[in-house]
Amino acid sequence: MNSLDFDIHIASLERQLVDVKGFALPLGRISVLFGESGIGKTLIARAIYGLLDPEEFSVIINGERYEKYLTKHETVEIRENGFFVFQEPSSHLNPLLPLGVQLREGDLAGGSDDTGLLKELWRSDPTAGKGEDGKKVEDLLAVFPKPYRPSGGEKQRMFLAMALKKIDLMVQSGRLNRQSVFIFDEPTGSLDNYFRDIFLSLLFHRFERHKFTTLLITHDYSMVGEITRRHERLLDHISFKEIRLQNEKLVLKNFQPQVYLGWLQEQKEYPVKEAPPRRNQPLCRVESGAEIFGQQLIISKDRSGTEESPLEIVPGTMTYLKAPSGTGKTTLVKLMMGLLPAEKLRLTLEDVQLTERTRRKYWQNHIWGKKMTMVFQHADEALNPRSTVAETFEGLPSRKRVTPPDIRQILGELFEIEINDDFLRRRVDALSGGQKQRLNLLRGLSLNTDILILDEPLNGLDFESATKVLAMLREQQQGGKAILVISHNEEIFDALVSKGSVYYLHSKM
Amino acid sequence: MTNSGFFSSSLYKQKHWLWLGVWLIGLACLAGWDALFLNQPAFKLIQTAFANTLVAGVLVVLLSLGMGWIVGVCLHFLESRSRPWYLGVTFILNIIRSIPQIVGILLGYVVLTILIEHEVLRNQFAQLAWMAFTISLFVFLEVVDLVRERITHFSKLDFFQAMLCCGVKEHRIINREILWKNSRAHLLHKMISIFGTAIFLQCTIDFIVSVGLSTDVSLSNFPVTLGSLLSKLDSKQDILSVGRAFFDLTDARALLFEHLQGISITFLIVFTLLSVYKISNGLVRRYNL
Repeated sequence: MNSLDFDIHIASLERQLVDVKGFALPLGRISVLFGESGIGKTLIARAIYGLLDPEEFSVIINGERYEKYLTKHETVEIRENGFFVFQEPSSHLNPLLPLGVQLREGDLAGGSDDTGLLKELWRSDPTAGKGEDGKKVEDLLAVFPKPYRPSGGEKQRMFLAMALKKIDLMVQSGRLNRQSVFIFDEPTGSLDNYFRDIFLSLLFHRFERHKFTTLLITHDYSMVGEITRRHERLLDHISFKEIRLQNEKLVLKNFQPQVYLGWLQEQKEYPVKEAPPRRNQPLCRVESGAEIFGQQLIISKDRSGTEESPLEIVPGTMTYLKAPSGTGKTTLVKLMMGLLPAEKLRLTLEDVQLTERTRRKYWQNHIWGKKMTMVFQHADEALNPRSTVAETFEGLPSRKRVTPPDIRQILGELFEIEINDDFLRRRVDALSGGQKQRLNLLRGLSLNTDILILDEPLNGLDFESATKVLAMLREQQQGGKAILVISHNEEIFDALVSKGSVYYLHSKM
Repeated sequence: MTNSGFFSSSLYKQKHWLWLGVWLIGLACLAGWDALFLNQPAFKLIQTAFANTLVAGVLVVLLSLGMGWIVGVCLHFLESRSRPWYLGVTFILNIIRSIPQIVGILLGYVVLTILIEHEVLRNQFAQLAWMAFTISLFVFLEVVDLVRERITHFSKLDFFQAMLCCGVKEHRIINREILWKNSRAHLLHKMISIFGTAIFLQCTIDFIVSVGLSTDVSLSNFPVTLGSLLSKLDSKQDILSVGRAFFDLTDARALLFEHLQGISITFLIVFTLLSVYKISNGLVRRYNL
């Protein structure tokens, strides 16, 4: 047997969620599965691993009812001889047990020293201004995973450590083989590229010695660049696949890394021509040193953060703000939008000085949706799930009422499907994650404000949608808009943004 | 799974619909039984009492929803825009909150008595509306609390801030996006429980005031309700016969044929409250409230 093959049908009480035929997991290989978020990748993986609740979902796998699938010998083996890394580690860690205990629970009991593995995953970035040392890792083992401690990235690395430890333990006991299935669901969603690359190295290093079956689910296409650059020798053992929604059906296709790499090269070779600024001074300027929750946000133009610099957002320019996860990038842009109460803020918007004392009414009447808008990173949370697609465009500050033909025109920019009345009446919570993200972006872009702040604009998008979004941003930029982007897709935005417009954020207590 | 199997399984999972059906079927069965075995004047009296009780209950629900929604939203805006007004309104609401519901509603009935004595409220619907207003004055705070809680919860979420950033007016986000689109199930659940509370309070108060509130005005001047009907002597005797039936089984048969008035009223009150409780619980489960 060369692969585990599945025909999977999943439905909830209300609607069909997944219907995919011929989903294959090649044994002894790494399958990297791309696809926009909310399309059903997680459901498929959980169904295969036997993690869905038959009470909640109607699941049929290879023509069998799920209850029967769950009791099959093969399914039990998959669960016993593998590991599933959940997308949201926060909700899957026991808040009543210290992390160190959880790292030695059940199948993970044994092994001499956990800290060695953790130290590798917590290795500090020598090029960054600050880092985490080994001592901190040992402290972390005594921590109970409460909602805000440790950080999302740390919890994710803890889960990855569990998976890697299980691999090591299975190697020690001689049980690791081609049939061992390890599923990583968005394993690097809360990690910046530095820690993502460390994890990939640790995983591939183990795979190189003992070939086991791995499914890596992600929508981070820049992983392709990292794999082809640093793990080229393993390319023969890696399959890149993309799952897409075509005519309301899920279709699994091979994804050619060259498509992404070629596109990236194009961006590097043909950098965006920046439109001439309408004025010499920036539209928006934020001084470094804004304070919130006792934390100071330092902006600099160098990665190490030694020289502070104001963040300037200039018309016709795309500005890129970089920082490791949890530093406060979203907090800074929320301060700029007047959404959070800063303790110290110096912001100049055109000629107007805005501080922490500026009244909310001023933001409402003059800034929000008029001069400046922000597209939030999680479309799931940024859109009202109970609104319809058409209602998402209602209430925006526009001189004329937005009509269905207007909405169709706006949506046509990023949706390749036919935008009929049914689609306009569809509720946001019935859209896939990628569709939500496109809708989220289009709502922001339709406002036509001078300044556009985009927090992780490529979150949850498939490659085709991401390229379309970036083309739209380029168009906006060339039309004279000032764009500020926050993204962990460094590889992509480094190719798009000129070096002079890249800023780094650091925080200090 | 067959269609009928799927239907029954979905109905089982959506218990609010199941219990609404049970309630309606129960009422239909009772109406059929009473039509056959209860004397016509008593049957008509029960129908009127049930209709009046339902109307009063529905009025309480509507008044509470309206007052709760308006006051809840106003408090939200006052909190950030005018601290003195916010504190003043909160103080008044807290005074209402501190009065026990039964005592407050009794006071309302005293006022109703005075209004009837002075022939200000002659129309039966107006009297029912006053009763409903009195009850809703002491239960609408539950809606205010719910509205405030929903607004506070959603104000912390990204979608509230994202809409603000897009220039959508705050009152629109609160009224339309938060309360109308995202809180209907919660409000409906609250309305159902208020409906049950209203029926319970009304029956209790009617029973309490059955002794009369003045020499000129007594329960007989008020619109007939299930509570007032229950407090009549013959209904009380019917209920007492339930106790006797436990000791003498020959009396059990008489319950269904000879003591129907009291038994029907009791059944209507208890069964309606039970069904409302179950419907409300079903909604909580269905929508994870």
